[in-house]
Amino acid sequence: MEFFDCNCWYGVPMSPPLDPAPTPAEVLAEMDRVGVQRALVRNCAVFEESPEVGNPLTLQAREASDRLVPAWAILPPQTGELGDVATFLAAMKAAGVAALWAYPNAHRYLLNTTTFGALFEELQDRGIPLFLPREEGSGGLMCYAAANEVLRDFPRLTLVVAGHGSWGEDRYFRPLMERFPNFAVDTSCYELDGGIAEICRKYGPHRLLFGTAFPIMRMGGAYLGLLHAEISDDHRAWVAGGNLKRLLEQARL
Amino acid sequence: MNFTSPIVEEYVAHGRSADCPVINTHAHFGPYKAIYFPMDAPEQVLHTMDACGVRWLIAAAHGALVDTDRGNKEFAEVIARYPDRLKGYWAINPGYPERVVREVAAFEQFEGFVGFKFLSDYYQYPITGPNYAPALEYANEHGLPILLHTWGGSPYDGPDVVEETARRYPNARLLMGHAGYGEWERASQVARDYPNVFLELTAAYRVRGALEIMVRVAGSEKITFGDDHPWFDPRYGIGGVLFAHISDEDRRNILYRNAQRVFGLPV
Ligand SMILES: [Zn+2]
Repeated sequence: MEFFDCNCWYGVPMSPPLDPAPTPAEVLAEMDRVGVQRALVRNCAVFEESPEVGNPLTLQAREASDRLVPAWAILPPQTGELGDVATFLAAMKAAGVAALWAYPNAHRYLLNTTTFGALFEELQDRGIPLFLPREEGSGGLMCYAAANEVLRDFPRLTLVVAGHGSWGEDRYFRPLMERFPNFAVDTSCYELDGGIAEICRKYGPHRLLFGTAFPIMRMGGAYLGLLHAEISDDHRAWVAGGNLKRLLEQARL
Repeated sequence: MNFTSPIVEEYVAHGRSADCPVINTHAHFGPYKAIYFPMDAPEQVLHTMDACGVRWLIAAAHGALVDTDRGNKEFAEVIARYPDRLKGYWAINPGYPERVVREVAAFEQFEGFVGFKFLSDYYQYPITGPNYAPALEYANEHGLPILLHTWGGSPYDGPDVVEETARRYPNARLLMGHAGYGEWERASQVARDYPNVFLELTAAYRVRGALEIMVRVAGSEKITFGDDHPWFDPRYGIGGVLFAHISDEDRRNILYRNAQRVFGLPV
């Protein structure tokens, strides 16, 4: 069974984490300590600075190790920093990048059809997953309202809300799981006792992706939480890495 | 994993360890407004405890944090059903000062409660305020533990407030719930400097680097495990402790030995 972390970054943000991870080496060290085989990573410059800088920097992770898979961030095509939709998709293809993050709060835009209709049409058709951080980068709890608005227009889009507050958020995200077939959350901070088991039971094993929120959080907690969650080994394998692996492999760049 | 630890290996293989059990010193019970719990019935709580090797769970009922009069007594009935697994914190609400005196007097009449619970941030009332004094004086007189919700920067229960309380009531045993979240170094100093202050790990266990600061500054003899159960699955918290850069002796101190000593519980 492969553990493939979907929510992990490194780099030098304005305020350092308690235990900084400036380079891919720190990510790999924690992965080895815990037993995580692969990680979908981004250099924090994608959200702290700009995707213009962070997207190319993130490609360096793959040079450090083929266990690190780069993800990029989006910006509104209208301002053109990353080119128009066709240019951006071509750049993804050339770089072999098959997953995207959105930071509507940090980058100050509306995550909706008016802004991203043309891009989301393509992401939906091509099966390219979009990750939306729950933390302030996307306006905290408002990320669920944004996800709902996007999915109403693009109901087959693979949208993953990553991160989770200390207080329960099942009442926010379960309606989205019920209504939209490709909506998922990551497990990095989903610590609710019995939560993983109940989601798998009610919605199947494809609505959760193993994540760690490294380097703010340790990898060990999310790892042990999933390793011994009361689910079948088949479901565990999907959540641990199977879902992410399949998404990345099936994305048509 | 790429390091050697018999305890970690056992938890990875089986999800629990007979040789290194867990005492959960920070838990809750019953429904609460802001969160959905799939596993909050008493038999479900016991199920999770068994699956994760949690020997004892010490909890304050959510109901008691709201209405102490009703909630503490209702929880006493639950504890009475599982006397060898569950213990209680008797909640004190400083918003109703006339009740505090009554609640402190009632504490002794119910079996299974091992200390008080203060949730100062939520009541926006400082631990050092006069409404808490009857409970603190009682705890000081009887060497009773108090689980304090503590948070970095809080004027109600931040590390400075805990230090003042520890100085005034040297015999009350003060557990800093959430280990003064965010003010790791400062909270650890208070735990180091006052024999009656301990750091409790709920939510803190997941923050990369925090536990290592606590062990370095306060020592692992001053740290207890907790996870706000049923808010959080003990596996997450235990995983945080297991994979931290600490020794197996530290892991034992944190997971059960210190709680055993502070609360006088057999394992
Ligand atoms: Zn609590």
